[in-house]
Amino acid sequence: MTALTIDRINKRYGDLHILKDISVPIGKGEFISLLGPSGCGKTTTLRCIAGFERPDSGRILFGDRDVTRALPEHRDIGMVFQSYALFPHMTVAENLAFGLEARKVAPAERKRRIAEVLSMVRLQGYEARFPRELSGGQQQRVALARALVIEPSVLLLDEPLANLDATLRDEMRFFIRDLQQRVGITSIYVTHDQSEAMVMSDKIVVMNGGVISQFGSPRDIYERPASQTVAGFIGRSNTIAGTITETLGADSYKVETSCGTIGTHGPSGLARGADVRVMIRPENIRTGRHGEAADAPASDENMLGGSVVSATYQGNATQLQVRMASGDGMVVDVSGRDPLAVGDQVTLRFSSRNAWLLAS
Amino acid sequence: MRGAGGVEKTIWDRLFLVLVAAIYIFLMFPIVLVVLLSFNSGEFLAFPLEGFSLRWFEALFSNTRFLEATSYSLRIAAISMIVNGVIGTLAAIYVARHAGNNRDRIRLVMTSPLLVPEILTAIALLFYFYEIGIGTDYSIGIQLGHIVVTFPYVFLNVSSALFNFDRSQEEAARSLGAGGWMTFRRVTLPAIKPGIITGCLFAFVISFDIFNISLLLKSLGRNTLPLELFDYLRFNFDPTAAAIASLSIFLTFAAILIIDRTVGLRSLRF
Amino acid sequence: MSATEAAPRVETPTIGVGRIGPVWMLVPALVLLIGFFVLPYLSIITMSLREASTRAVYGEGFTLAHYATALGDPFIWRILGRTLLMGAIVTVVTLLLGYPVAYHLANSRSRWTSLLYIFVLSPLLVGLVVRTFAWMIILSNNGVANKALMAMGLVVFPLQLMNNSLGVTIALTHVFLPFVILPLLGNLQAISPDLAMASRSLGNSRMRTFLKVTLPLSLPGIQAGSILVFVLSISAYVTPAMLGGTGGRTMSVLVVQYLVDNFRWPAGAALAIIMAIVALIVVGLYLKLTARAMRRLP
Repeated sequence: MTALTIDRINKRYGDLHILKDISVPIGKGEFISLLGPSGCGKTTTLRCIAGFERPDSGRILFGDRDVTRALPEHRDIGMVFQSYALFPHMTVAENLAFGLEARKVAPAERKRRIAEVLSMVRLQGYEARFPRELSGGQQQRVALARALVIEPSVLLLDEPLANLDATLRDEMRFFIRDLQQRVGITSIYVTHDQSEAMVMSDKIVVMNGGVISQFGSPRDIYERPASQTVAGFIGRSNTIAGTITETLGADSYKVETSCGTIGTHGPSGLARGADVRVMIRPENIRTGRHGEAADAPASDENMLGGSVVSATYQGNATQLQVRMASGDGMVVDVSGRDPLAVGDQVTLRFSSRNAWLLAS
Repeated sequence: MRGAGGVEKTIWDRLFLVLVAAIYIFLMFPIVLVVLLSFNSGEFLAFPLEGFSLRWFEALFSNTRFLEATSYSLRIAAISMIVNGVIGTLAAIYVARHAGNNRDRIRLVMTSPLLVPEILTAIALLFYFYEIGIGTDYSIGIQLGHIVVTFPYVFLNVSSALFNFDRSQEEAARSLGAGGWMTFRRVTLPAIKPGIITGCLFAFVISFDIFNISLLLKSLGRNTLPLELFDYLRFNFDPTAAAIASLSIFLTFAAILIIDRTVGLRSLRF
Repeated sequence: MSATEAAPRVETPTIGVGRIGPVWMLVPALVLLIGFFVLPYLSIITMSLREASTRAVYGEGFTLAHYATALGDPFIWRILGRTLLMGAIVTVVTLLLGYPVAYHLANSRSRWTSLLYIFVLSPLLVGLVVRTFAWMIILSNNGVANKALMAMGLVVFPLQLMNNSLGVTIALTHVFLPFVILPLLGNLQAISPDLAMASRSLGNSRMRTFLKVTLPLSLPGIQAGSILVFVLSISAYVTPAMLGGTGGRTMSVLVVQYLVDNFRWPAGAALAIIMAIVALIVVGLYLKLTARAMRRLP
């Protein structure tokens, strides 16, 4: 039994079909991110889980409890909002006490829990402050504390770090993730920032246009994206169009492209003759000057030739734009400074394990 | 236009400031004049002032007609304020949260008394009350007139407060387990309270000063303060009238000060 | 599947009472406004069509005679004309005086801004009778104005500043000045400061920037303010009643006279309707004329 199940929910606003048959099983204590561009439906999904929107069809289950029609105040959730939504006319302590009062927790117990959660978010002693006296980061921590102090079954976070500056955001990412793991609470996190999702989550739900493009661990999503959309959304990638000429084993394929034959890996079950795109991440390509004595290629290594169009030094890496014989462009990230210059003929080498097939 | 001026302060800038200052003085001058004259120890409403005296305020406080008129005005204003405070707030909440597609139409109806001249509303009510049998024998007519005309002020100010209120606070409260009523009472209401107070103060002050409605709907023998002053000025022209005017002015300024201290004048909605 | 814990219920947050739903919050206000505002206006129309009577405020039956009489009476037309002219003059003067104040207030950033705001607002809240009374003190024959003019040697005999249209016009200008300042202020504040900066960076002088950028963008405020002041001026009662005497009588004063002094309710109603229709026509024409100028605005 999963801690939280989203089962085929649909939602329409007039003509817009915002959510199309969304299903996600979530285990206890997992940190799940809903990731996607604006308008993909991730916030709507979160609001359905919270109870502020009602899906047109489908179910939402907390454990074995069907909460699809329950009011938000009866769902036992804790929610953190992008705007923090702290009550400005109440002190920090009163903000934290609010949910406890609604749940009829005794005053002594309230005090204890408030003190405990404030030390968890490292704001001990701030009980009597008002939200307007706190910085953005502090307000965010109070919002988090307020959601956690009631010990809900599920924690929902709606782009909570969007209003913070970059350094604070980095800090808070680790802070939130660390806290979540210590408390062990099932959490759903909405964001449009892919690096945030990658860093914090156990699993990521990539959404686009109301549908789930892929649901998997950060590693799955990065190394084995399910489609070109997902590949393009997370990190940078090179893609070359081609056709499968041979299947070797469960997930290895030989693909004929305009740059030559490439050994690749891909999802199992693809047929010969299928049109695919080969995805290679820029950091997985090694370079060698054409004609230079080099190591012999390994059995699973691909080698393609091209010429350097531009080389941009970025400090920790150099980004090369390479034009292949076929006319395709490839982007290569080389660490440190690369001796290659514009116009040089270059050999690109990458393992077939790093060439992933995307079904068109 | 801010920041467009640069650092130059030409002769034109100075002339402009002089012009603007003159207009501000024009705005305040008559009021200041009345207040000054109410403290005049002389008999006439004329300059130069002969001396400082409170005798006209004393005369005012021993004039039973004025005192009755004042308490009548205060009573009507208080009732207008309370009634509108309640129904205006409720209506504003409905329009902000639940009106849906009808929102604009309902808003138009709610603010319609502001869109028409008060004298026409007064005439309309006079005829109407006569036709439906209420007439002007009792105070109900004039009271209803005051309530109708001051309603939009409460409605608009509360609506404005609701508009500026971040709804995610309500959602936060509900996600924490608070039901609809608890959320309203402890989160929404405190947040819109300044808007309610401002609207109520406005309703009170405006009702206190209403003339046209009171003139046509008054019952025999009972005057509101503006009416009493008006009658008095037909035959008398002495500083007693200035004393009443001063008191009226002080009351208004007190109300404005309260509004400015609590909400700031810029948040007002007419 | 095990039984649900929470009972199924309507899920949009509402403050419904039982089955009724939130509409109950609107009902009292609606009753107030429909019952005591909308409907009464219909009764002006009915009243204007009733027969006159010498024994009661109105008699049996209906007639259009009052309209006919009023529209054929040159005295009525004179008063109507005077009222409209006064309204027009007050509107123009308040615009000329109010625009600089609004402009100044919109650009003001000092601590005194709040105080200036009070200066603008307070006349509004002080009460018409009080304000008109203040003007009586200033405009009467041995009032402040005349005393000052005579002391400065500009006139020998006191000027007739009261009990005529002039006094009413001056006082109305003062009374309604805030009503033109406030919409203008709102409009000016909404104009992005970047626009003026862009204009000046392109080489325009401040005057040119004002004429070509600020002024056109403030037309909606000018329009709103002028309509407001015009309608208020022509329907004003207290000020013309106290300051106008017989020479400065306006339509409102006449109508109230009919109703309160002469008990000629149907005739008075007809006059009120005529005034309202004329006002609507004038405002409508004004809107049409200014619509062309506003066409280019967002």
